[in-house]
Amino acid sequence: MTSYSKEVLGDLAAGKLPWPQTRRIMSAYKDDDRFFKMVAVYQDRVAWADPILLPVSDHLFICQSGDERITRCECGHSFGDYRKNWKLKAAIIVRNTEEALREIYPNSDIPDPQWMEIREFICPECGTMHEVEAAAPGYPIVHDFEPDLEGFYREWLGKPL
Amino acid sequence: MLDKPASVLRLRERLLDSERLMEETGCYDGITELTLRNEDPLKFETLHTKLRAYCVSAREMARRISASPGVREVGEMVVAIYTPEGDAIALSNGIMVHVHTMSRFIKWMIKNNYEENPKIREGDIFANNDAFIGTVQVPDVMDVVPIFHEGTLVGWAGAVCHELEAGGITPGGDVCLAQERFTEGLFVCAEKIGENDEIRRDYVIRCERNLRMPIYWVLDEKAKVASCIDMRESVKQLISEIGLDYWMKVSKEFIEEGRRAQLARTRQLTVPGIYRGHTFYGHVTAGKPGFQLLGDPDWLYNIPIEMEITTDGKITMDFEGTQPWGYHSMNCTPAGMDGGMFVTLTQHMNFEGLVNDGAWMATELKLPHGTWTNPDNEMVATATSWALLLPAYGVFQRLLSRGFVARGFVEEAFVGQVNSPMIEMGGESQYGTPFGMAHFECAAAGSGALAIADGLDTAYVGWNPESDMGNIEVWEQSMPMVYIGRSIVPNSGGAGKYRGGCSFVSTWLINKTSHLRLHTSEHSSRVFDNSGMCGGYPAPTCQKHRAVRNSNIHELAANGEPLAHAPGIDPDVSDYEKNIGGDHVLVEGPYITSPHKSGDIFSHSYNGGGGYGDVLERDPIKTAWDVENGYLTREAAIQVFGIVLKDDAEGYPVADIDATVERRAAMRKQRLAKAIPVSDWIAAERGRVEKADFAPEVKKMYASAIKLSSRFTKDFSDFWTVDAKSIFMPGAKP
Repeated sequence: MTSYSKEVLGDLAAGKLPWPQTRRIMSAYKDDDRFFKMVAVYQDRVAWADPILLPVSDHLFICQSGDERITRCECGHSFGDYRKNWKLKAAIIVRNTEEALREIYPNSDIPDPQWMEIREFICPECGTMHEVEAAAPGYPIVHDFEPDLEGFYREWLGKPL
Repeated sequence: MLDKPASVLRLRERLLDSERLMEETGCYDGITELTLRNEDPLKFETLHTKLRAYCVSAREMARRISASPGVREVGEMVVAIYTPEGDAIALSNGIMVHVHTMSRFIKWMIKNNYEENPKIREGDIFANNDAFIGTVQVPDVMDVVPIFHEGTLVGWAGAVCHELEAGGITPGGDVCLAQERFTEGLFVCAEKIGENDEIRRDYVIRCERNLRMPIYWVLDEKAKVASCIDMRESVKQLISEIGLDYWMKVSKEFIEEGRRAQLARTRQLTVPGIYRGHTFYGHVTAGKPGFQLLGDPDWLYNIPIEMEITTDGKITMDFEGTQPWGYHSMNCTPAGMDGGMFVTLTQHMNFEGLVNDGAWMATELKLPHGTWTNPDNEMVATATSWALLLPAYGVFQRLLSRGFVARGFVEEAFVGQVNSPMIEMGGESQYGTPFGMAHFECAAAGSGALAIADGLDTAYVGWNPESDMGNIEVWEQSMPMVYIGRSIVPNSGGAGKYRGGCSFVSTWLINKTSHLRLHTSEHSSRVFDNSGMCGGYPAPTCQKHRAVRNSNIHELAANGEPLAHAPGIDPDVSDYEKNIGGDHVLVEGPYITSPHKSGDIFSHSYNGGGGYGDVLERDPIKTAWDVENGYLTREAAIQVFGIVLKDDAEGYPVADIDATVERRAAMRKQRLAKAIPVSDWIAAERGRVEKADFAPEVKKMYASAIKLSSRFTKDFSDFWTVDAKSIFMPGAKP
């Protein structure tokens, strides 16, 4: 069975693994012990102790915090119950003018702000940009991911939460 | 269960029986046990490898028969082997989207009783390019031949080429001006086009009389038929070695194994749950010549997707909330939507083991009737379906990637494909003859970023995983334009910790013609039709077309003056305007204008991919390399990424790490100072929503989505705590 060390997976997640080795991992049969090893990699990366249950973005994790399961930023900021859309507890910058869009697209044609805006969802504590939505004005904020956490652990990982 | 050698049932009954068995057992054709695989797995695997080799070899042979640079250079072809009921057992590389669309075509003929009339006999050749029967768009012309063994139908061999000219209202294959079926070009509707392995002369005459460039279509027909016969003979030889009963059983076990493998891979690589995403497409045609006012000339489509992965590993994609079909060429049929699903799965999950129709069977598409994904009117045009398909399946790639990230398989996460606008052309060739062609260098856009690396530059499109832009010299042989530039577009990848792959722009001098029609399709306007992920930005998508009519380029060249080979990086004044005299033209959206002539200049940009992760985490050293090599500008490095560059002794950019750290800290601080709580933003924005204070096209989009979808209406109303219907459809019944 294919398996990699935590160090290799740590480098892979950080984009530091040399490309030939990365390429081999991409092409090889997948390692069935990946999930918990990767969780351990992330757990080492964060400064807080709540056990990570699921990574959901580059710096966002669902973790067990006391009796609650919450979405937490790598910096420690809590976005609340993992079943709720974390974006609703984030800070936001909306780019809906030519000037604001031009800051990100200095040399290209830009969208018509009457038709489309950019919404940047930011951790209010550390300022990390967790997600960017490009949407028509008035479009409801999307709830990206509602994992079936119980089903995942119980039926796929064989380890009840 | 497998007791179906050389079935005595008629084909139509056999197909219905197979569908019933799938319904009842949940397994393909009722195969609940993989008996042959369990008995001798090595033989099982070896046989499938052989079938795949037959397909790959047949395709390569056919590419050398074709006259079309689309097929020869870019590889716009795929072949596959099917069961008698029309399910794909094995396939070649290439435009794999059509493996399942051909399946639909075969099943359509069976269900429409082709056994009775026009009959299915050994040596027959059937062709189709009708998307409501089974293809994506009119230029995707497919040929299938039945495989008989001692008088019994034992399978089908099929091949598809994307034709460069389809004889529609505008020249080329992707007929951008088609607004209904009757202007899309030459239709071949599940037609018997040959017997005894020979294409009928009257069919060839029809092609010759109805196409601008019949040599492409007709030679591609010959290439496809040759590949089908090649596969057919190989399969017959194989059956003589392994026996008919074994063939009939093993070919179906391959598909059931493929179905199970897909479920297992979903369970292995993802996390169950609900995933959501959306994208948009804008179309601007007001005032452009040729468009009939059958609908709004300018419009905006939303494409929301909800994907569910259940704990048994099934993937369901639901398009509820999207827009109605319209009088344009970008509608899609369920066959095309299936094809999009198949080619995406093949690239992201079904890339090992027995790649076949089984993967598709482990998924489900919910395509709301009346929308562009499933029109309730078969007269609609689908000539440029990819315009909406690509952004839609780009969303699917991001949704899957969210699952890969959550599961820890970061190396599989990918921000997705983008539209790559195509140029269609026709008129008088450089040889003084009539011609028509699609320029397929668009088959090399930038890809979305990965979660661990930048996207591929000028090397990916979703519809052809072997993406290739083709050689300049070969394209120049086929059209009355010569290249004066083909270069990377700086900043064309979406910004992020990992940037999206960059696109390229070509510039041509129109040459040796007095009449060249140039049109473009799959060209979204005013909006992003792609996205970033996990903090990355979308790639810029709406580059306008630039042209110079009556240019003085020959005079400049004669005087040794500098020319312009690309638009440059000033968004307000192009290098063409700076260096070349003549009538400068700037066109938003699809390029549809009066014909060009020798001496004019035309440029066309393709699209880059979306970015991944927070821009403030991008590697400064990599960025210096990007600036040095023209993938990013210095302006973007400092303004977007917060990376300060200085010059080394030889004038090359190098990262100033200390200054970068300082600048990024300031940018982060600025972000926090500028950002407001989302709840405050919602409260403020609600007033605008209540007043429907939006552009007319945006309001129309909401009204259309609300009319078609109660779920969209509820979600919109719940989010803003408003009554969406009364805002966007005043006077409508509650």
